[in-house]
Amino acid sequence: MTIRSVRQKVTASPAPNEAEAVAIQVPVGEPSASAAGGAALGDVAITVRDLSAWYGARRVIRDVSMDIRSNAITAIIGPSGSGKSTLLRCLDRMHEVVPGARSSGKVAYQGVDIYDPEIEPAAVRRTIGMVFQQPNPFPTMSIYDNVAAPARFNGLVKGKAAQDELVERCLRQAALWDEVRDKLGHGGTSLSGGQQQRLCIARTLALQPKVLLMDEPCSALDPVATLQIEQLMSNLKSEYTIVIVTHNMQQASRVSDITAFFNMGPDRAGYLVELDDTRTLFTNPKNQLTEDYVSGRFG
Amino acid sequence: MASDGAAVFAPTGGARRFRANLLVVLAVVALLLALIPLIAVFGYVFVNGIRSLLSLDFLTQDPPADLSATGGGVRNALVGTLEMTGLASVIAVPIGLGVAIFAIEVGGGLARAARFLIDVLSGLPSIVVGIFVYATVVVTQGHFSGFAGSLALAIVMLPVVTVSAEEILRLTPRPIAEGARALGLARWRAILSVFVPIGLSGIVTGVLLGVSRAIGETAPLIFTSLGNNFFTLDLNQPMQALPLLIYRNALNSAYASARDRAFGAALLLILIVFGFNLVGRWLTARRRLAGSRR
Ligand SMILES: Nc1ncnc2c1ncn2[C@@H]1O[C@H](COP(=O)(O)OP(=O)(O)OP(=O)(O)O)[C@@H](O)[C@H]1O
Ligand SMILES: [Mg+2]
Repeated sequence: MTIRSVRQKVTASPAPNEAEAVAIQVPVGEPSASAAGGAALGDVAITVRDLSAWYGARRVIRDVSMDIRSNAITAIIGPSGSGKSTLLRCLDRMHEVVPGARSSGKVAYQGVDIYDPEIEPAAVRRTIGMVFQQPNPFPTMSIYDNVAAPARFNGLVKGKAAQDELVERCLRQAALWDEVRDKLGHGGTSLSGGQQQRLCIARTLALQPKVLLMDEPCSALDPVATLQIEQLMSNLKSEYTIVIVTHNMQQASRVSDITAFFNMGPDRAGYLVELDDTRTLFTNPKNQLTEDYVSGRFG
Repeated sequence: MASDGAAVFAPTGGARRFRANLLVVLAVVALLLALIPLIAVFGYVFVNGIRSLLSLDFLTQDPPADLSATGGGVRNALVGTLEMTGLASVIAVPIGLGVAIFAIEVGGGLARAARFLIDVLSGLPSIVVGIFVYATVVVTQGHFSGFAGSLALAIVMLPVVTVSAEEILRLTPRPIAEGARALGLARWRAILSVFVPIGLSGIVTGVLLGVSRAIGETAPLIFTSLGNNFFTLDLNQPMQALPLLIYRNALNSAYASARDRAFGAALLLILIVFGFNLVGRWLTARRRLAGSRR
């Protein structure tokens, strides 16, 4: 795919129309009332209620409540240290992997509490996939195995034919197939940074997740690779619920439908300041802090 | 022009240059000092042992009943060493890897206790290990055996394997480890299919260190496998090993034949350890290059 076509598609990517923009009015702190009839957006996929998270004794996010819609891209923005990554990690139970880390409050996917003791964290992580800031393909595995092995280990695919099919489909979805089809046996780390990141996306897609969480997936990439990933997200939106943390305001306004702005409170714990339709949040924010942040006056 | 360079970069003073050179010289001297004993020992054993080793009989014949007699070989000791060290590895490697994985993934008091015991074990004089196995296995069974010898060697190997495996597995990059968790992989699966392959060359090196350590041990075998002048593959019998054979023949080195046999066996032992290390390196290097597809 040429850079040009990518760029065209990205600029043409759907910004919600005015009607929706008006419709989605999200009173902060009462996101359940955010129902709003955003016609193009799907139903609420993830509900977060009074979520707080700690590392040891230090609280890093406080009482976050928000709804995340399916078939939409939700961007999370905010200054460094405001707990964006931590929030994201609470959504697929990766937060608890850090020794001494804990959380309280409720996170539900499709109405099911993901912190229910009956539910296996691994099962949550398969349904709610995560892509990290630094591409992290498995260095001893080939490109093929990076995609096939996790799916195979999770019992999602059996037999060579099915694996071949899965690998091709996911690499195509991740817009990487044409670049690697002739070297599937090469090491996953032999690729460029942008290719590695798309490989990691393909690897996650192979688990057939419903949600994709991406923590600054482009921050290690050059502008061309960034555009490719943004394009990819727009394409995946129809099938997945996507949440992306980004420091890049343009990126948030380019790709996302909904944006949530986080800030650090006086207690140095992050909290949700404002969540709204992206267009509205960037052009007509309700909160002065949001306005200052998106216009680059702080952060 | 030289003066331009001096204007841009502060000129390197003579004293400073001297100090830098002095450090290099000292490092080279230290390296040579470290190499001298290594080369001297190997050279001495080589010169004295190569003649015995050049005859095929040395590998295919058992030693004569009378050590002072010429001829014969060290077949029984070679086979005994390989068999006992092999069984010791089969015992020690899985346990060592298991303890290392447990210490990393489960942690907590039990893991710390296990790790402490392993540390104590590595500080234990190997003769004590021999006596321990003598008291527990040999006395209970009522006879010396190759099996008891293997057990003693396994105990000697265990800490080496555990400590190196634990250190290597700890080096698994955090992003990779988190990636595996985020893909919903079970812990054991992540360890076996992701962490161990990443650390494989280090783990293999650790195992080889353990094997090299065990294969040269004499003390743990004296009270366990005892030694045997005859060839046997039976682990229930007393079994000969190269270090035991070297020890016995060296004690009788007044006889030229015993002396030659001891040096030949010593050279053989060195070459085996050397060979293991070469093969291990070759295996891990090869694995890393191959972009295996399955
Ligand atoms: N593993 C950890 N152990 C202890 N404290 C942590 C850990 N990870 C993050 N923190 C702390 O939690 C707070 C929130 O961190 P987090 O990474 O969620 O912020 P962020 O909004 O993603 O920041 P950035 O934009 O810089 O990525 C920070 O103050 C950070 O120091
Ligand atoms: Mg972050």
